[in-house]
Amino acid sequence: MSDLPTYVLERVFDAPRELVWKTWTDPKLLPRWYGPNVKTIVHRLELKPGGLWLVEMQWGGKSNYQRVEYTEVTPPERLIWLHSSSDADWNVIPSPMMADWPRLLLTTVTFKEDGGRTKLRLTWVPHEASAAEIACFSAAIDGMGKGWGAGMDLLAKLLAELQA
Amino acid sequence: MELTSYTTKPQNLDAIFAALADPTRRSILSRLAAGEASVNEIAAPFGISQPAVSKHLKVLERAGLIERDIDKQRRPARLKAEPMAAAVSWLEEFKKFWSSSFDQLDGLLDVLKKRGAKGAGNE
Repeated sequence: MSDLPTYVLERVFDAPRELVWKTWTDPKLLPRWYGPNVKTIVHRLELKPGGLWLVEMQWGGKSNYQRVEYTEVTPPERLIWLHSSSDADWNVIPSPMMADWPRLLLTTVTFKEDGGRTKLRLTWVPHEASAAEIACFSAAIDGMGKGWGAGMDLLAKLLAELQA
Repeated sequence: MELTSYTTKPQNLDAIFAALADPTRRSILSRLAAGEASVNEIAAPFGISQPAVSKHLKVLERAGLIERDIDKQRRPARLKAEPMAAAVSWLEEFKKFWSSSFDQLDGLLDVLKKRGAKGAGNE
């Protein structure tokens, strides 16, 4: 598609595609899995191109807001959206964790039927990103396992020792 | 989940990620994970010039990933693990968010499937 760094996450779910699709698009079901060990509140979910999914996650007395704008909704095959951090008024903001994290991540989720199971593929690509955002995202992907190999294992071991 | 745990010095994380974006610099870090080394010792296996290695070391030093002795003649470079720990733990949290969410989705799908089968049996 492009030379932009792409983060890919794949997972097979032991459930029919229509059901998996439902868990990604039903505002009652989404909070039951999205966000581990946090309270997830769906403030809005408009399942159509240009529609918004506004989600708040609460933990330890703090709130974290995410703003999602759908660009494609093709049931039960594909969802595409722009993912961003937001303030409490749902304005797009830089990631509170890292200034150079891409503000907008074009997120594509595809659902493939596979003998009663569902192959899910999630990809993230920086959208309208600055060079710094692309570099940051690219480094993050490397850190997630690509290209580190034995070096990463060594570092992980070292870090474990130092933190023990 | 301790999302708050990696909020320490985010601006420094950016420098760290920029430094880590280069495969040669990552290899240098791997080499240093095995112990401190001089520019000569680092350059040998990479087949790149000493000035090139020195440049990479400067980037790593600015990011706070390594430290170098000023006094000694050979100025060995040494890995500084703390900032690296911050970067790695940020990525770990990120990864964990999705894999834990997917674990929860697995559980939810099980519940929904059972409920669906029950409903079908009643019809």
